[in-house]
Amino acid sequence: MRFEEIRVGSVLVAKVLDGRIAADVAPRFKSKLAEYMVDGNRSIVIDLGSVSFIDSSGLGALVSSLKSMGKDGDLVISSAQGTVATMFKLTRMDKVFRMYDNCDAAVAALS
Amino acid sequence: MKAMILAAGKGTRVRPITNIVPKPMIPLLGKPLMESIVEHLRNSGFDQIVVNTSHLAPVIQSYFRDGSQFGVQMAYSFEGLLSAGKLEGEAIGSAGGMKRVQEFSGFFDDTFAVLCGDALVNVDFREAVRFHRERGAVATIILRDVPREEVFRYGVVATDENGRISQFQEKPNVDEAISTRINTGIYLFEPSVFEFIPSSRPFDIGGELFPALVAAGAPIFGVELPFEWVDIGSIPDYWEASRQAVSGRIKGYTLPGREVEPGIHVGINVRWNPSRTTVTGPVVIGGSTSIGDGAVIEGPSVIGAGCVIEPGAVVRECILGDYTRVSAIARLDRVLVFGNECIQPTGEHLGIEEAGISWVVDDARRKTELVGHERELYELVREFAD
Repeated sequence: MRFEEIRVGSVLVAKVLDGRIAADVAPRFKSKLAEYMVDGNRSIVIDLGSVSFIDSSGLGALVSSLKSMGKDGDLVISSAQGTVATMFKLTRMDKVFRMYDNCDAAVAALS
Repeated sequence: MKAMILAAGKGTRVRPITNIVPKPMIPLLGKPLMESIVEHLRNSGFDQIVVNTSHLAPVIQSYFRDGSQFGVQMAYSFEGLLSAGKLEGEAIGSAGGMKRVQEFSGFFDDTFAVLCGDALVNVDFREAVRFHRERGAVATIILRDVPREEVFRYGVVATDENGRISQFQEKPNVDEAISTRINTGIYLFEPSVFEFIPSSRPFDIGGELFPALVAAGAPIFGVELPFEWVDIGSIPDYWEASRQAVSGRIKGYTLPGREVEPGIHVGINVRWNPSRTTVTGPVVIGGSTSIGDGAVIEGPSVIGAGCVIEPGAVVRECILGDYTRVSAIARLDRVLVFGNECIQPTGEHLGIEEAGISWVVDDARRKTELVGHERELYELVREFAD
Protein backbone atom coordinates (compact mmCIF):
# COMPACT_ATOMS: atom_id res chain seq x y z
CA MET A 1 0.00 0.00 0.00
CA ARG A 2 1.34 3.41 -0.93
CA PHE A 3 1.04 6.64 1.02
CA GLU A 4 2.25 10.18 0.57
CA GLU A 5 3.02 11.80 3.90
CA ILE A 6 3.15 15.54 4.39
CA ARG A 7 3.70 17.26 7.68
CA VAL A 8 1.97 20.61 8.20
CA GLY A 9 3.02 21.90 11.61
CA SER A 10 1.88 19.33 14.12
CA VAL A 11 -0.51 17.67 11.66
CA LEU A 12 0.41 14.59 9.63
CA VAL A 13 -1.44 14.34 6.33
CA ALA A 14 -1.38 10.78 4.99
CA LYS A 15 -2.67 10.64 1.47
CA VAL A 16 -3.61 7.14 0.36
CA LEU A 17 -2.29 6.64 -3.16
CA ASP A 18 -3.97 3.29 -3.84
CA GLY A 19 -7.30 3.47 -5.66
CA ARG A 20 -8.85 0.68 -3.59
CA ILE A 21 -8.89 -0.10 0.09
CA ALA A 22 -10.37 -3.58 0.37
CA ALA A 23 -9.82 -6.76 2.36
CA ASP A 24 -6.50 -7.55 0.64
CA VAL A 25 -4.81 -4.35 1.86
CA ALA A 26 -6.84 -3.54 4.99
CA PRO A 27 -4.36 -5.21 7.43
CA ARG A 28 -1.48 -3.20 5.91
CA PHE A 29 -3.60 -0.05 6.07
CA LYS A 30 -4.33 -0.67 9.73
CA SER A 31 -0.69 -1.37 10.62
CA LYS A 32 0.47 1.78 8.80
CA LEU A 33 -1.98 3.88 10.80
CA ALA A 34 -0.73 2.17 13.97
CA GLU A 35 2.86 3.09 12.99
CA TYR A 36 1.89 6.75 12.70
CA MET A 37 0.55 6.66 16.25
CA VAL A 38 3.56 4.77 17.60
CA ASP A 39 5.70 7.50 16.04
CA GLY A 40 3.90 9.99 18.24
CA ASN A 41 1.51 11.54 15.74
CA ARG A 42 -1.56 12.81 17.53
CA SER A 43 -3.18 14.82 14.70
CA ILE A 44 -3.65 12.76 11.57
CA VAL A 45 -5.56 13.55 8.40
CA ILE A 46 -6.28 10.57 6.17
CA ASP A 47 -6.70 12.00 2.69
CA LEU A 48 -8.90 9.68 0.61
CA GLY A 49 -8.99 11.93 -2.46
CA SER A 50 -7.31 9.34 -4.69
CA VAL A 51 -9.36 6.42 -3.41
CA SER A 52 -12.26 5.33 -5.57
CA PHE A 53 -13.38 2.34 -3.52
CA ILE A 54 -13.30 1.38 0.13
CA ASP A 55 -15.04 -1.65 1.56
CA SER A 56 -16.14 -2.38 5.10
CA SER A 57 -12.76 -3.94 6.00
CA GLY A 58 -11.14 -0.61 5.05
CA LEU A 59 -13.62 1.18 7.27
CA GLY A 60 -12.88 -1.39 9.99
CA ALA A 61 -9.17 -0.49 9.81
CA LEU A 62 -10.02 3.20 10.18
CA VAL A 63 -12.37 2.55 13.11
CA SER A 64 -9.77 0.44 14.95
CA SER A 65 -7.25 3.25 14.50
CA LEU A 66 -9.72 5.83 15.71
CA LYS A 67 -10.29 3.73 18.84
CA SER A 68 -6.52 3.35 19.38
CA MET A 69 -6.09 7.09 19.09
CA GLY A 70 -8.69 7.50 21.82
CA LYS A 71 -9.26 10.92 23.31
CA ASP A 72 -5.59 11.93 23.19
CA GLY A 73 -5.57 12.84 19.53
CA ASP A 74 -7.45 13.36 16.32
CA LEU A 75 -7.83 11.09 13.32
CA VAL A 76 -9.94 12.75 10.64
CA ILE A 77 -10.89 12.04 7.04
CA SER A 78 -10.57 14.39 4.11
CA SER A 79 -11.51 14.50 0.43
CA ALA A 80 -13.78 11.44 0.38
CA GLN A 81 -15.75 11.55 -2.85
CA GLY A 82 -17.97 9.46 -5.10
CA THR A 83 -18.62 5.95 -3.85
CA VAL A 84 -16.19 6.46 -0.97
CA ALA A 85 -18.31 9.31 0.35
CA THR A 86 -21.40 7.17 -0.25
CA MET A 87 -19.82 4.36 1.75
CA PHE A 88 -19.20 6.63 4.76
CA LYS A 89 -22.73 7.97 4.55
CA LEU A 90 -24.48 4.62 4.11
CA THR A 91 -22.62 3.06 7.01
CA ARG A 92 -23.00 6.24 9.08
CA MET A 93 -19.26 6.43 9.53
CA ASP A 94 -19.69 10.09 8.55
CA LYS A 95 -21.10 10.48 12.06
CA VAL A 96 -18.27 8.51 13.68
CA PHE A 97 -15.43 10.36 11.92
CA ARG A 98 -14.90 14.06 11.49
CA MET A 99 -14.94 14.51 7.75
CA TYR A 100 -13.67 17.43 5.68
CA ASP A 101 -14.20 18.24 2.02
CA ASN A 102 -10.52 18.89 1.43
CA CYS A 103 -7.16 18.55 3.03
CA ASP A 104 -6.69 22.24 3.80
CA ALA A 105 -9.93 22.37 5.77
CA ALA A 106 -8.92 19.28 7.73
CA VAL A 107 -5.46 20.67 8.52
CA ALA A 108 -6.94 24.01 9.55
CA ALA A 109 -9.35 22.24 11.89
CA LEU A 110 -6.57 20.29 13.59
CA SER A 111 -3.99 23.09 13.75
CA MET B 1 -53.58 -2.13 -36.06
CA LYS B 2 -50.03 -3.34 -35.68
CA ALA B 3 -47.18 -1.96 -33.64
CA MET B 4 -43.59 -2.75 -32.84
CA ILE B 5 -41.91 -2.09 -29.51
CA LEU B 6 -38.15 -1.63 -29.62
CA ALA B 7 -36.78 -3.56 -26.66
CA ALA B 8 -33.39 -4.85 -27.78
CA GLY B 9 -31.16 -2.16 -26.28
CA LYS B 10 -28.58 -2.86 -23.60
CA GLY B 11 -29.58 0.16 -21.53
CA THR B 12 -25.99 1.02 -20.68
CA ARG B 13 -26.91 4.43 -19.25
CA VAL B 14 -29.24 2.82 -16.72
CA ARG B 15 -26.67 0.39 -15.33
CA PRO B 16 -26.48 -1.23 -12.87
CA ILE B 17 -30.29 -1.67 -12.98
CA THR B 18 -30.08 -2.99 -16.54
CA ASN B 19 -27.55 -5.61 -15.49
CA ILE B 20 -30.56 -7.46 -14.08
CA VAL B 21 -33.58 -6.28 -16.03
CA PRO B 22 -33.74 -5.00 -19.60
CA LYS B 23 -34.66 -1.34 -19.81
CA PRO B 24 -38.31 -1.89 -20.83
CA MET B 25 -38.79 -4.00 -17.70
CA ILE B 26 -37.56 -1.35 -15.26
CA PRO B 27 -40.32 -1.10 -12.67
CA LEU B 28 -42.07 2.17 -12.01
CA LEU B 29 -43.88 1.62 -8.71
CA GLY B 30 -43.45 -2.09 -9.30
CA LYS B 31 -44.89 -2.11 -12.82
CA PRO B 32 -42.59 -2.58 -15.82
CA LEU B 33 -42.54 0.45 -18.13
CA MET B 34 -43.36 -1.73 -21.10
CA GLU B 35 -46.55 -2.98 -19.47
CA SER B 36 -47.87 0.59 -19.46
CA ILE B 37 -46.86 0.91 -23.12
CA VAL B 38 -48.66 -2.31 -24.08
CA GLU B 39 -51.77 -1.15 -22.21
CA HIS B 40 -51.73 2.20 -23.96
CA LEU B 41 -51.28 0.58 -27.36
CA ARG B 42 -54.20 -1.74 -26.64
CA ASN B 43 -56.37 1.20 -25.56
CA SER B 44 -55.39 3.01 -28.75
CA GLY B 45 -56.57 0.21 -31.03
CA PHE B 46 -53.35 -1.74 -31.56
CA ASP B 47 -54.03 -5.44 -31.20
CA GLN B 48 -50.91 -7.06 -32.68
CA ILE B 49 -47.56 -6.12 -31.19
CA VAL B 50 -44.21 -7.50 -32.22
CA VAL B 51 -41.27 -6.85 -29.90
CA ASN B 52 -37.62 -7.08 -30.87
CA THR B 53 -35.53 -8.41 -28.02
CA SER B 54 -31.87 -9.14 -27.34
CA HIS B 55 -30.35 -8.15 -23.99
CA LEU B 56 -32.05 -10.28 -21.28
CA ALA B 57 -34.73 -11.24 -23.79
CA PRO B 58 -36.22 -14.03 -21.63
CA VAL B 59 -37.18 -11.51 -18.93
CA ILE B 60 -39.43 -9.70 -21.42
CA GLN B 61 -40.78 -12.80 -23.12
CA SER B 62 -41.64 -14.68 -19.96
CA TYR B 63 -43.51 -11.64 -18.62
CA PHE B 64 -45.64 -10.79 -21.65
CA ARG B 65 -45.78 -14.26 -23.26
CA ASP B 66 -48.34 -14.17 -26.09
CA GLY B 67 -49.92 -10.98 -24.80
CA SER B 68 -53.32 -12.52 -24.15
CA GLN B 69 -53.31 -11.55 -20.48
CA PHE B 70 -52.89 -7.93 -21.62
CA GLY B 71 -55.65 -8.16 -24.22
CA VAL B 72 -53.35 -8.10 -27.27
CA GLN B 73 -51.42 -10.57 -29.41
CA MET B 74 -47.67 -10.40 -28.98
CA ALA B 75 -44.70 -12.07 -30.63
CA TYR B 76 -40.96 -11.57 -30.46
CA SER B 77 -38.11 -11.08 -32.89
CA PHE B 78 -34.99 -12.23 -31.06
CA GLU B 79 -31.83 -10.57 -32.30
CA GLY B 80 -28.97 -12.85 -31.41
CA LEU B 81 -27.80 -16.43 -31.13
CA LEU B 82 -27.71 -19.19 -28.58
CA SER B 83 -24.03 -19.92 -28.25
CA ALA B 84 -22.42 -22.32 -25.76
CA GLY B 85 -25.62 -22.34 -23.76
CA LYS B 86 -25.84 -18.54 -23.51
CA LEU B 87 -27.92 -16.06 -25.45
CA GLU B 88 -25.71 -13.55 -27.21
CA GLY B 89 -27.11 -10.35 -28.64
CA GLU B 90 -26.49 -9.17 -32.16
CA ALA B 91 -26.71 -5.44 -32.90
CA ILE B 92 -28.73 -4.83 -36.05
CA GLY B 93 -30.07 -1.37 -35.20
CA SER B 94 -33.65 -0.23 -34.69
CA ALA B 95 -34.53 -0.01 -38.41
CA GLY B 96 -32.64 -3.28 -38.95
CA GLY B 97 -34.93 -4.85 -36.35
CA MET B 98 -38.02 -3.63 -38.24
CA LYS B 99 -36.60 -4.97 -41.50
CA ARG B 100 -35.93 -8.37 -39.98
CA VAL B 101 -39.59 -8.69 -38.92
CA GLN B 102 -40.81 -7.59 -42.33
CA GLU B 103 -38.54 -9.95 -44.21
CA PHE B 104 -39.54 -12.81 -41.93
CA SER B 105 -43.28 -12.70 -42.59
CA GLY B 106 -44.30 -9.43 -44.27
CA PHE B 107 -45.96 -8.59 -40.93
CA PHE B 108 -46.46 -4.88 -41.56
CA ASP B 109 -49.22 -4.51 -44.16
CA ASP B 110 -50.75 -1.15 -43.25
CA THR B 111 -49.93 1.98 -41.22
CA PHE B 112 -48.05 0.81 -38.12
CA ALA B 113 -46.52 2.33 -35.01
CA VAL B 114 -42.98 1.84 -33.72
CA LEU B 115 -41.94 3.03 -30.31
CA CYS B 116 -39.22 2.57 -27.75
CA GLY B 117 -39.96 0.26 -24.85
CA ASP B 118 -38.35 2.49 -22.26
CA ALA B 119 -40.50 5.61 -22.11
CA LEU B 120 -43.89 5.98 -20.56
CA VAL B 121 -46.20 7.65 -23.07
CA ASN B 122 -49.90 8.33 -23.48
CA VAL B 123 -49.79 9.92 -26.91
CA ASP B 124 -53.11 10.13 -28.76
CA PHE B 125 -52.34 7.61 -31.50
CA ARG B 126 -55.70 8.09 -33.20
CA GLU B 127 -54.91 11.77 -33.70
CA ALA B 128 -51.38 10.94 -34.82
CA VAL B 129 -52.64 8.38 -37.37
CA ARG B 130 -55.16 10.91 -38.71
CA PHE B 131 -52.35 13.47 -39.19
CA HIS B 132 -50.10 10.84 -40.78
CA ARG B 133 -52.71 9.71 -43.30
CA GLU B 134 -53.93 13.21 -44.13
CA ARG B 135 -50.40 14.19 -45.09
CA GLY B 136 -49.80 11.01 -47.07
CA ALA B 137 -46.65 10.46 -45.01
CA VAL B 138 -44.39 7.45 -45.31
CA ALA B 139 -43.13 8.27 -41.82
CA THR B 140 -44.39 10.53 -39.04
CA ILE B 141 -42.41 11.31 -35.92
CA ILE B 142 -44.14 12.36 -32.72
CA LEU B 143 -42.29 15.47 -31.60
CA ARG B 144 -42.01 17.28 -28.36
CA ASP B 145 -40.83 20.77 -27.53
CA VAL B 146 -38.17 20.81 -24.80
CA PRO B 147 -36.27 23.61 -23.08
CA ARG B 148 -33.30 24.61 -25.24
CA GLU B 149 -30.78 23.55 -22.59
CA GLU B 150 -31.97 19.93 -22.93
CA VAL B 151 -31.63 19.53 -26.71
CA PHE B 152 -28.14 18.04 -26.47
CA ARG B 153 -29.69 14.81 -25.19
CA TYR B 154 -31.94 14.23 -28.20
CA GLY B 155 -32.39 14.09 -31.94
CA VAL B 156 -33.65 17.51 -33.03
CA VAL B 157 -36.00 18.08 -35.97
CA ALA B 158 -36.86 21.11 -38.13
CA THR B 159 -40.19 21.17 -40.00
CA ASP B 160 -41.99 23.49 -42.41
CA GLU B 161 -45.42 24.95 -41.59
CA ASN B 162 -47.19 21.75 -42.73
CA GLY B 163 -45.09 19.62 -40.44
CA ARG B 164 -42.87 18.26 -43.22
CA ILE B 165 -39.41 17.53 -41.87
CA SER B 166 -36.54 19.30 -43.60
CA GLN B 167 -33.61 18.59 -41.35
CA PHE B 168 -32.34 16.35 -38.54
CA GLN B 169 -29.65 16.94 -36.01
CA GLU B 170 -28.41 14.25 -33.62
CA LYS B 171 -27.66 15.52 -30.11
CA PRO B 172 -26.59 19.04 -31.12
CA ASN B 173 -24.82 21.58 -28.98
CA VAL B 174 -27.30 23.94 -27.38
CA ASP B 175 -25.95 26.87 -29.45
CA GLU B 176 -26.17 25.03 -32.74
CA ALA B 177 -29.59 23.39 -32.39
CA ILE B 178 -31.85 24.00 -35.41
CA SER B 179 -34.96 23.86 -33.20
CA THR B 180 -36.13 22.76 -29.77
CA ARG B 181 -38.49 20.09 -31.13
CA ILE B 182 -37.14 16.65 -30.47
CA ASN B 183 -37.74 13.12 -31.67
CA THR B 184 -39.54 11.19 -28.91
CA GLY B 185 -38.86 7.77 -30.42
CA ILE B 186 -42.53 7.28 -31.32
CA TYR B 187 -43.17 6.77 -35.03
CA LEU B 188 -45.85 5.90 -37.55
CA PHE B 189 -44.79 4.26 -40.80
CA GLU B 190 -46.22 2.96 -44.02
CA PRO B 191 -44.92 -0.43 -45.20
CA SER B 192 -43.30 1.37 -48.15
CA VAL B 193 -40.66 2.62 -45.68
CA PHE B 194 -38.91 -0.75 -45.99
CA GLU B 195 -37.69 0.27 -49.45
CA PHE B 196 -35.32 2.61 -47.61
CA ILE B 197 -33.92 0.06 -45.16
CA PRO B 198 -31.12 -2.23 -46.38
CA SER B 199 -31.30 -5.93 -45.50
CA SER B 200 -27.76 -6.87 -44.91
CA ARG B 201 -26.38 -4.43 -42.37
CA PRO B 202 -27.26 -2.73 -39.07
CA PHE B 203 -29.45 0.32 -39.65
CA ASP B 204 -30.69 2.93 -37.21
CA ILE B 205 -34.01 4.78 -37.41
CA GLY B 206 -32.91 8.18 -36.12
CA GLY B 207 -29.37 8.29 -37.41
CA GLU B 208 -29.79 6.61 -40.82
CA LEU B 209 -33.35 5.93 -41.93
CA PHE B 210 -34.73 9.44 -41.42
CA PRO B 211 -31.81 11.23 -43.08
CA ALA B 212 -32.17 8.76 -45.98
CA LEU B 213 -35.88 9.58 -46.28
CA VAL B 214 -35.19 13.32 -46.28
CA ALA B 215 -32.39 12.90 -48.83
CA ALA B 216 -34.72 10.90 -51.09
CA GLY B 217 -37.44 13.55 -50.84
CA ALA B 218 -39.84 11.04 -49.25
CA PRO B 219 -42.80 12.51 -47.33
CA ILE B 220 -41.68 12.46 -43.72
CA PHE B 221 -43.58 14.54 -41.20
CA GLY B 222 -43.41 15.53 -37.56
CA VAL B 223 -46.34 16.30 -35.32
CA GLU B 224 -46.25 17.77 -31.87
CA LEU B 225 -49.06 16.45 -29.69
CA PRO B 226 -49.59 17.11 -26.00
CA PHE B 227 -48.92 13.96 -24.01
CA GLU B 228 -47.20 12.64 -20.92
CA TRP B 229 -43.72 11.46 -21.75
CA VAL B 230 -41.59 9.95 -19.03
CA ASP B 231 -38.29 8.95 -20.55
CA ILE B 232 -36.11 6.63 -18.49
CA GLY B 233 -32.83 7.22 -20.27
CA SER B 234 -30.57 7.28 -17.24
CA ILE B 235 -30.45 6.70 -13.48
CA PRO B 236 -31.27 10.38 -12.73
CA ASP B 237 -34.29 10.02 -15.07
CA TYR B 238 -35.43 6.91 -13.23
CA TRP B 239 -34.94 8.57 -9.87
CA GLU B 240 -37.03 11.56 -10.91
CA ALA B 241 -39.71 9.45 -12.63
CA SER B 242 -40.19 7.27 -9.54
CA ARG B 243 -40.54 10.33 -7.33
CA GLN B 244 -43.03 11.90 -9.73
CA ALA B 245 -45.02 8.67 -9.95
CA VAL B 246 -45.26 8.08 -6.20
CA SER B 247 -46.26 11.72 -5.75
CA GLY B 248 -49.16 11.19 -8.17
CA ARG B 249 -47.72 13.72 -10.60
CA ILE B 250 -47.73 11.48 -13.66
CA LYS B 251 -51.15 12.04 -15.16
CA GLY B 252 -53.06 8.82 -15.61
CA TYR B 253 -50.50 6.66 -13.78
CA THR B 254 -52.31 4.56 -11.22
CA LEU B 255 -50.70 4.12 -7.84
CA PRO B 256 -50.70 0.50 -6.69
CA GLY B 257 -52.23 -0.83 -3.48
CA ARG B 258 -54.83 0.75 -1.24
CA GLU B 259 -54.54 4.31 0.00
CA VAL B 260 -54.69 3.78 3.79
CA GLU B 261 -53.89 7.40 4.60
CA PRO B 262 -53.56 10.36 2.26
CA GLY B 263 -50.50 9.69 0.10
CA ILE B 264 -49.73 6.28 1.63
CA HIS B 265 -50.49 3.35 -0.67
CA VAL B 266 -50.03 -0.13 0.71
CA GLY B 267 -50.16 -3.55 -0.94
CA ILE B 268 -51.66 -6.66 0.61
CA ASN B 269 -50.13 -8.91 3.26
CA VAL B 270 -48.08 -6.09 4.75
CA ARG B 271 -46.90 -6.39 8.36
CA TRP B 272 -47.02 -2.90 9.77
CA ASN B 273 -48.41 -1.17 12.82
CA PRO B 274 -48.98 2.47 11.76
CA SER B 275 -49.29 3.66 15.35
CA ARG B 276 -45.78 2.42 16.16
CA THR B 277 -44.00 3.81 13.10
CA THR B 278 -43.66 7.20 11.46
CA VAL B 279 -44.60 7.06 7.81
CA THR B 280 -45.09 10.32 5.93
CA GLY B 281 -46.24 10.21 2.33
CA PRO B 282 -46.08 10.11 -0.50
CA VAL B 283 -45.08 6.48 -0.01
CA VAL B 284 -45.91 3.26 -1.82
CA ILE B 285 -45.34 0.05 0.13
CA GLY B 286 -45.35 -3.20 -1.84
CA GLY B 287 -47.07 -6.41 -0.80
CA SER B 288 -45.58 -8.83 1.75
CA THR B 289 -43.30 -6.14 3.16
CA SER B 290 -42.71 -5.79 6.88
CA ILE B 291 -42.04 -2.51 8.65
CA GLY B 292 -40.72 -2.86 12.15
CA ASP B 293 -41.83 -0.78 15.11
CA GLY B 294 -39.98 2.50 15.47
CA ALA B 295 -39.10 2.66 11.78
CA VAL B 296 -39.33 6.00 10.01
CA ILE B 297 -40.21 6.28 6.34
CA GLU B 298 -40.34 9.69 4.69
CA GLY B 299 -41.64 10.30 1.20
CA PRO B 300 -41.36 10.48 -1.61
CA SER B 301 -40.32 6.88 -1.15
CA VAL B 302 -41.07 3.61 -2.87
CA ILE B 303 -40.71 0.44 -0.80
CA GLY B 304 -40.83 -2.61 -3.04
CA ALA B 305 -42.53 -5.93 -2.41
CA GLY B 306 -41.10 -8.41 0.10
CA CYS B 307 -38.93 -5.77 1.80
CA VAL B 308 -37.92 -5.88 5.45
CA ILE B 309 -37.56 -2.51 7.17
CA GLU B 310 -36.14 -3.49 10.54
CA PRO B 311 -37.29 -1.83 13.78
CA GLY B 312 -35.78 1.62 14.15
CA ALA B 313 -34.49 1.91 10.58
CA VAL B 314 -34.85 5.28 8.86
CA VAL B 315 -35.64 5.52 5.15
CA ARG B 316 -35.77 9.05 3.76
CA GLU B 317 -36.70 9.67 0.15
CA CYS B 318 -35.54 6.30 -1.14
CA ILE B 319 -36.50 3.94 -3.91
CA LEU B 320 -36.11 0.37 -2.65
CA GLY B 321 -36.43 -2.53 -5.05
CA ASP B 322 -38.23 -5.75 -4.13
CA TYR B 323 -36.68 -7.79 -1.32
CA THR B 324 -34.56 -5.06 0.20
CA ARG B 325 -33.65 -5.47 3.85
CA VAL B 326 -32.86 -2.23 5.66
CA SER B 327 -31.06 -2.96 8.90
CA ALA B 328 -32.07 -1.49 12.24
CA ILE B 329 -29.02 0.78 12.36
CA ALA B 330 -29.45 2.08 8.80
CA ARG B 331 -30.32 5.67 7.99
CA LEU B 332 -30.88 5.58 4.25
CA ASP B 333 -31.14 9.02 2.72
CA ARG B 334 -31.88 9.63 -0.97
CA VAL B 335 -30.63 6.32 -2.24
CA LEU B 336 -31.92 3.74 -4.66
CA VAL B 337 -31.43 0.08 -3.79
CA PHE B 338 -31.83 -2.34 -6.64
CA GLY B 339 -30.47 -5.80 -7.25
CA ASN B 340 -27.67 -5.78 -4.71
CA GLU B 341 -26.53 -2.26 -5.52
CA CYS B 342 -26.87 1.00 -3.61
CA ILE B 343 -27.27 3.66 -6.26
CA GLN B 344 -27.05 7.42 -5.79
CA PRO B 345 -29.54 9.59 -7.70
CA THR B 346 -26.58 10.71 -9.80
CA GLY B 347 -25.89 7.12 -10.88
CA GLU B 348 -22.82 6.37 -8.75
CA HIS B 349 -23.25 2.95 -7.25
CA LEU B 350 -21.82 0.60 -4.72
CA GLY B 351 -22.14 -3.19 -4.79
CA ILE B 352 -23.55 -4.35 -1.46
CA GLU B 353 -21.59 -7.60 -1.42
CA GLU B 354 -18.42 -6.12 -2.86
CA ALA B 355 -18.40 -3.31 -0.30
CA GLY B 356 -19.31 -5.66 2.53
CA ILE B 357 -22.26 -3.59 3.75
CA SER B 358 -24.89 -6.28 4.10
CA TRP B 359 -25.05 -5.23 7.76
CA VAL B 360 -26.64 -1.97 6.54
CA VAL B 361 -28.69 -3.06 3.57
CA ASP B 362 -29.08 -6.46 1.94
CA ASP B 363 -31.33 -8.78 0.02
CA ALA B 364 -34.09 -9.74 2.45
CA ARG B 365 -33.92 -13.36 1.29
CA ARG B 366 -30.29 -13.75 2.29
CA LYS B 367 -29.29 -14.86 5.76
CA THR B 368 -27.11 -12.01 6.94
CA GLU B 369 -24.03 -13.22 8.78
CA LEU B 370 -21.65 -10.55 9.95
CA VAL B 371 -17.90 -11.24 9.84
CA GLY B 372 -15.59 -9.79 12.51
CA HIS B 373 -15.09 -6.18 11.43
CA GLU B 374 -18.70 -5.94 10.18
CA ARG B 375 -20.02 -6.83 13.63
CA GLU B 376 -17.62 -4.30 15.14
CA LEU B 377 -18.89 -1.57 12.81
CA TYR B 378 -22.50 -2.54 13.41
CA GLU B 379 -22.08 -2.34 17.19
CA LEU B 380 -20.19 0.94 16.91
CA VAL B 381 -22.92 2.55 14.85
CA ARG B 382 -25.56 1.24 17.22
CA GLU B 383 -23.75 2.78 20.18
CA PHE B 384 -22.46 6.07 18.85
CA ALA B 385 -23.94 7.24 15.62
CA ASP B 386 -27.10 8.79 17.04
